[in-house]
Amino acid sequence: MLTLGKQTVRNCATFSRRGLLQAGGLGVIGLGLGDLLRLEAQENASSGRPKSIILLWLWGGPSQLDTFDLKPNSPTEYRGPYRPVSTNVPGIEVCELLPKLAKRADKYAIIRSLNSSSNDHGIAGTIGLTGADFGATSLSGQVLPGELLPTHGSIASKVFGFEPTMPRFVTVGGLLHQGHRRISGETGGSLGRLYDPFRLDYDAEQGVRIPQFDLIDGVTPGGLDDRASLRTALNQLSGSVDRSKAFGQLDQYYQQAYSLLTSHNAHEVFDLEQEADSLRTSYGRFRFGQCCLLARRLIETGVRFVQVNWSSHVEPVEDTGDGGWDMHDRHFQQFQDRHAWMLDQAASALLDDLDQRGLLDETIVVAVGEFGRTPKINVKAGRDHWQQCYSGIVAGGGLRGGQVIGESDARAEYPVSRPLTPADLFTTALHQIGIGTTQLTAAGLTPQGQVIEELV
Amino acid sequence: MIRLVLLLTMLSLSRSLCADSPTWLRLTSDGHFKQRPTWSPDGKTLVFARHQGATIFLYLRGMDGAERRLTEAKYSEYDAVFSPDGKRLLFSFNKASPNQGDIEVYSIASDGSDLKPVAVTREKLSHEEWPCWAPDGKRIAYTSTRDGNQELYTSLTDGSDEKRLTSDPAIDAHPSWSPDGKRIAFATHRWGDLEIATVDAEGKNLTRLTESLGLDDYPTWSPDGKRLAFTSNRDGNFDVYIANRDGSQPRNATDHPAIDNFPSWLPDGRLTIVSNREAGFDVFVEAASRE
Repeated sequence: MLTLGKQTVRNCATFSRRGLLQAGGLGVIGLGLGDLLRLEAQENASSGRPKSIILLWLWGGPSQLDTFDLKPNSPTEYRGPYRPVSTNVPGIEVCELLPKLAKRADKYAIIRSLNSSSNDHGIAGTIGLTGADFGATSLSGQVLPGELLPTHGSIASKVFGFEPTMPRFVTVGGLLHQGHRRISGETGGSLGRLYDPFRLDYDAEQGVRIPQFDLIDGVTPGGLDDRASLRTALNQLSGSVDRSKAFGQLDQYYQQAYSLLTSHNAHEVFDLEQEADSLRTSYGRFRFGQCCLLARRLIETGVRFVQVNWSSHVEPVEDTGDGGWDMHDRHFQQFQDRHAWMLDQAASALLDDLDQRGLLDETIVVAVGEFGRTPKINVKAGRDHWQQCYSGIVAGGGLRGGQVIGESDARAEYPVSRPLTPADLFTTALHQIGIGTTQLTAAGLTPQGQVIEELV
Repeated sequence: MIRLVLLLTMLSLSRSLCADSPTWLRLTSDGHFKQRPTWSPDGKTLVFARHQGATIFLYLRGMDGAERRLTEAKYSEYDAVFSPDGKRLLFSFNKASPNQGDIEVYSIASDGSDLKPVAVTREKLSHEEWPCWAPDGKRIAYTSTRDGNQELYTSLTDGSDEKRLTSDPAIDAHPSWSPDGKRIAFATHRWGDLEIATVDAEGKNLTRLTESLGLDDYPTWSPDGKRLAFTSNRDGNFDVYIANRDGSQPRNATDHPAIDNFPSWLPDGRLTIVSNREAGFDVFVEAASRE
C-alpha cells in the first residue's frame, strides 16, 4: 500500500483511478493513459454489475429545517412546528415526519452544507442539474452567458455510449418549469440533443406514459407490439413534427427509443402490474411513489442514470396539480399532509427494494432539490427560497451512509463547516459510477466540483 | 358439519376480538387526495375538497352518493364548513396568482349561489383560511397572516368586527369552535411541535390540552362538546385520536398503519376521516356511534 499525502493508494492490482490522479498525475508512477483506462476497465469488470444513479429531484426546493437539518433550539419563528426524532444511527436526527427514513439512516449520508449561487429556480435548477449556471434561464427569461452544460444523466449517456435496446439516461416526469417557462439544465446541453433524456412518466389513471408519443393517438408502451405498428406510429410521428436538420440528428436517439418500445424486455419494464401488489403499495399509490418503482425497474434493466422529477412545476399543488416543493404559503399544511410522507414512503421503499435485490451497492440514490428554504418563516406561514444552505441525502453505490457531512449554523442559514455545492455532490456520484476526470475530458467536459472525500 | 362448527367458532372469536375496533364505511372510492370532509347539520350532506390534476375543488355528496361541485369557480377551494342552520358554507378560496396564491375566506349558499367575500386581503397580501362557525352562527373564526404571522381571528359573518385572538411568534392554526360557544380549540407550535390548545372567544385563558412527542393538529369538537378529535403522529404514524374536552385520556381512535387524517363528526357522533387505508385517499365514516 502506498500513501501519498492524504490519499491512500492500493497496490497495483487494485489501483484506484482517483487515487492515482490525486497522487499528482500518472507520470509520478510511470503509467500512461492507456494503462490507466485498462486498470479502470479491470476495476469495473471485477466489481460486477456497473454502477448507476437514481436522482430524486425534489423540484421547488425542500426546507432544510423541516427535513434533515432541524433546529429545535432556534427561535419559534425559525424552527417550525416539527421536532427532530432519533434515527437508527446514534446522534443523527431527522424530522418527525420522516419516520421511515429515520429507520434507514444507516443507508444514507445527509449533507447539511449544500449551497448554491442563485435563488432563482431556473438558474439554481440548472446549477443543480449541470453543475454550473452557464446558459441558465431565469424567471424573467434572461439567459446567462456561457454554453449550457449537459445534465448529469446526459454525461452518463455520452461516456457509456449508446446501448441498442435501452437508453442510458431516462427522466421519469415532465419537463421542468418555473412558472410557464422551461428551465434549461435538464438536457444534453453542449453535447447536443442526442444526449437528452429519454422521457417516461406515470399517471395514476393511465399508467406509464411516454410523453413523446402523446403526439400519436392511442400509442401506449404496450401498444407497439410489432414492426408494422411501429412503422405506423413512426409515420404518424414524422408527419406531426418538423423535418428539420435537428430532427435528422436525432435518428439514433429515436432508433434507440423505438427499439426500446418494441422490445419485449421494455414492455416488461414499463409494466408495473408485474410487481407484487404489496410492493407497489409500499412505494405508495401516488405518482412519485410509482415513479420510484419504475426507476428501480429501469436500473435493473441496465439504465445507468434515472432522474425522477417530483413534479414538473415548482409550485404547490393548487397551482399546478402535481405539486412541487415551492411552498411560499401553506407550507406546513402541505408539507405534513402530502409531501413529507410521500417522500418518506417512496424513498424508503426504494432503498429497501434496491437493498433486498442486491442492487443498492451498485445504485446511488440522491434526493435533493435546487435549494432550500428561508429559515425564518415568512409572513404567509411559508418559507421562501434560500440557496445559502440546504440539505440533501445520498445513499448506495458504495458511498458511506450513516453520517452527516457538513454543518449549518444555529438557524440553518449558512454552512459553518464543509460548504459543498451541488457540483461537488454530482462530481462524487459520477465518479463513483466510473465517470471521473479522464472520462469527462475524453467527452470534452471538465469536472464542475470536487469529490466529497467523506463519501467515497 | 365439524368444519362448519369450527368456522362459526372462529368467526365468533374474531368478532369478540374486534369488538372495540370500529367498522369504517368507505364513502368515496376515487382515491384522489381529499381534505377536510365535514357534514351538514342534518347529517345528510358531506362537503370535502378533492385534489385532482391541477385542481382542488369542493364537492357536496348526498346520501345517495351523488356529487356536485359547490361552485363553478376555476380557482382552488377547500376547507368548507356548513353554518349551524345548514344554509350557507364558509370555505378557503385560493385565487392563485401565477406563482403564489391569495387565500381568502368566502361564504356561499349551500345551493352554490350568493358567493360573498368574508375575510380577505386588504392593503398587502395575506392568507385567511380554515374557517369555522360559532354555534349560534353569528360569528366565525379563521386564521390570517394579515399581521405578519398566522394568528386566530374572529369576526361577524360578513367579515366586520374582526378580533385578533392570539399573538405569538408561533403558528396558530385550524380553529374549531366548541358547541357551547365558550372555547376555540386550535393547533399551535408555541411549546415546540404542534399541540392542541384552547382560548375563549375573547382570546383569553389560553389552555394547553395536549403534550405529546409528536404533532397534534386539526382539532374538532364532538357534537356534544364532551370530546375533541384530532390528528396525531405521537405513535409514529398519522392516526386520529379522541380526548376528553380538557385533553385528558387521549386514545387512538383509528389505530391503523395507513394515514388517517382530517377528523370531523357526524351530528350523531360518528367520526369521519380521510384515510389511505385502501390505497388511495378516501373519506371513511364509522358505521356506528361511539356513544
